[in-house]
Amino acid sequence: MVTDPALVEPVEFADRSGEPGPLVEPGANPAPAGQWRHRHLLDVDVLTADELDLVMRTAATMAEILARPIPKVPALRGWGVTNLFYEASTRTRVSFEVAAKNLSADVVNVAASASSVTKGESLIDTIRTLEALGARILVMRHATSGAPWLAAETFGGSVINAGDGWHAHPTQALLDLYTLRTHLPGGSVAGRKVVILGDVLHSRVARSNLWSLTAAGADVWVCGPATLLRGFEAWAATGVGGTRRFTVTSDLAAALRDADAVMALRIQRERMASGLLPSLREYAARFGLTRERLEAAKPDALVMHPGPMNEGVEIAPDVAAGSQSVITDQVANGVAIRMAVLYLLAGAPRPAAERTE
Amino acid sequence: MTIAAAPSSVGARLADLEISRAWLVDPATGREGPGEIVVTDGVIEAVTWLEGAEADGIDASGVVVAPGFIDLHAHFREPGNEDAETIATGLAAAAHGGFTTVCVMPNTTPALDEPSVLARTRDAAAASGSPVTLLAHGAVSAGRAGEQLAALGELADAGVVGFSDDGAPVRSASLFRNALAYAGMLGLPIIDHPEDVTLTDGAEANEGLISTVLGLRGWPAAAEAGAVARDLAILADVLRDVPGARLHLTHLSTAGSLDLVRAAKARGLPVTCDITPHHLALTDEWVAGARRWSWEALDDDGSARDPWRDGVIRAAPFDPALRVNPPLRSAVDAAACLAALADGTADAIATDHAPHAEVDKAVEFGLAANGISGIETALGVVLAAVDAGRVPLATAIARLTTGPAQVLGDLGPGSRGLAEGESANIVVFDRSATWWVESGALASKGKNSPLLGRDLPGRVLLTVANGRVAYEAAED
Repeated sequence: MVTDPALVEPVEFADRSGEPGPLVEPGANPAPAGQWRHRHLLDVDVLTADELDLVMRTAATMAEILARPIPKVPALRGWGVTNLFYEASTRTRVSFEVAAKNLSADVVNVAASASSVTKGESLIDTIRTLEALGARILVMRHATSGAPWLAAETFGGSVINAGDGWHAHPTQALLDLYTLRTHLPGGSVAGRKVVILGDVLHSRVARSNLWSLTAAGADVWVCGPATLLRGFEAWAATGVGGTRRFTVTSDLAAALRDADAVMALRIQRERMASGLLPSLREYAARFGLTRERLEAAKPDALVMHPGPMNEGVEIAPDVAAGSQSVITDQVANGVAIRMAVLYLLAGAPRPAAERTE
Repeated sequence: MTIAAAPSSVGARLADLEISRAWLVDPATGREGPGEIVVTDGVIEAVTWLEGAEADGIDASGVVVAPGFIDLHAHFREPGNEDAETIATGLAAAAHGGFTTVCVMPNTTPALDEPSVLARTRDAAAASGSPVTLLAHGAVSAGRAGEQLAALGELADAGVVGFSDDGAPVRSASLFRNALAYAGMLGLPIIDHPEDVTLTDGAEANEGLISTVLGLRGWPAAAEAGAVARDLAILADVLRDVPGARLHLTHLSTAGSLDLVRAAKARGLPVTCDITPHHLALTDEWVAGARRWSWEALDDDGSARDPWRDGVIRAAPFDPALRVNPPLRSAVDAAACLAALADGTADAIATDHAPHAEVDKAVEFGLAANGISGIETALGVVLAAVDAGRVPLATAIARLTTGPAQVLGDLGPGSRGLAEGESANIVVFDRSATWWVESGALASKGKNSPLLGRDLPGRVLLTVANGRVAYEAAED
């Protein structure tokens, strides 16, 4: 599998530290003002095709930095970035932490378990506290859909949604799009058949990807057992954003036929306890992504997974580690995407008079 | 129109009131039209219907005089959660909303499951000085635990007007059957909150396009219709032994459950039901950030429109003020609710006024307490539907007055409309004036209204309950 970052044209790069210091590229101009208008990144649904493109190009610049012997730039020097994780997550939290540190931000990690909820500490209270402690960008993971919107209402800086409930995981969708664009011939997902396979109902990855992939013109198919596709037929019929249709099916063979990429989703053991699936064995037998099944897709179809994987359940080990797999690229690209998002948000317009009270 | 009233203060007997050239609506007689009303020393002295040239220039778009509204379903939180509401603030809110009679639900702490809690409630109402009539439903089960019957007979003797475990359904079909029979023996209705909780565990928003897109746990319409079907089947069974058994289904919200009630009424079953203003006028797309009325979200072919396609997402999604049980439904369900209101399948509009303290609402959507503070906005929301031609004014007023009165049986003054010689229970509102819904404008302690920041039609000018002033609008 050949990775070609040149397929994604880099943007020029600016220092956000607000202090005199070496720019990343001596003599480079700041990123064109006004291109990025979002203070928060709560989901990808609000991003236009041009904005998605800007994130991709910014991430390509970050990928170049990551390729250096010392992948560190001073762009966010002095910026407080707080990772507030209400759900255990090693991968996403570390990815954000590495991204922020590469930009020279000051990173604080807060693992807020459900216990702080039972102690009666409200989310709003926690966010006010973190802001008073210097957070300017808040990266937040929460088990309740919509929680980052509550945070954004309260927080004076920028909020990045690192996953809320079943709802959204925008940086995952962006890194998936970036990974697809760097690997697909022509560097575009337009017209490409992308299959999202598995527990779609409970998946914030699937929902965010539906917004960004359809915005980028992909032919998206979601596939899984009927109990884990509940409600999606109605969404497919009206379309993402009311216009962008996608396909819902439990017929795995039809979904995989001539696919350009397959994204397998994690199956949680709780799905058996809540009666949605008979067993993991049966799931693997009917919906597991195996070498044999993958043959129905295009010969060089990409295999993706947001992690962490249950190898042998939703994806066979030889597929996960096979030549078509770009799963480790997704992890690496995640850092570039999160650097890009942190960088763009740090340059976002700030409401000056909004918080004078 | 002119209103001439002797100066009075809230709680004082209305010494002298004369409203000339207004639009009178009297569902008790089925009459509406131009007229005049005179109240002297708290009693309706004269109701005059104007005709011919005298009626010129008077129509239903200005000042309306109607009998005071009756709310079958409100939560005043006292005793136990006085941070959210008290009897006094609840009664003040009711008066502001045009209600002269309110039935409070028994899900207080402690639950109203025996007469001493009812006595406390009545003491608080008396101490408030409000002239609004406070009635109470007793709990069906002891402690609302769903296991044993509450002190139904003692509560009936003490004067409750029905029994309900509202906030939750009576889960056990067996206990529900026994309750219907026992309450039927006492001549009182069971007021059920129909919900199959095995389908709604953890549910956050109406199951449909909106919950799918927002990743909220779906609250299926079938959970309500299934429970209604169970209740109706048991009612039919119980009636064979207890002809006096009566069932009232509260806050119905789906097309499916209203179809079941319509069919049951056609078969002659003694079932009644109510619908809330928010289920008539709001929809689940508000949770996504849309802010249009339910009838504006309905396509010509009767299906729900897509708010993203229509570009009507105006507000941030996940406003906890919109979290309510049953959840706001689709535009299709809201249309069915309006149709049921119009054709009489729904007997009453009940507010399900559910005030909450800010700490219980200023949290994540899925963790927020269920409920909308709605007794003050009910009239405005219903008038929005009237203005849009979705229900006639007289029908809407009937569902706020005679409809609930019939559910409860004869209540004495208040259910007899604009009758001369009766103690005055009236509301006067101006359909040509709007009012701005903001937290400071609400008498309720519960500021959990999704309508904050909107204009609503139909400003209440005066509410008179039991011949005394309950609410009077400040002079502009």
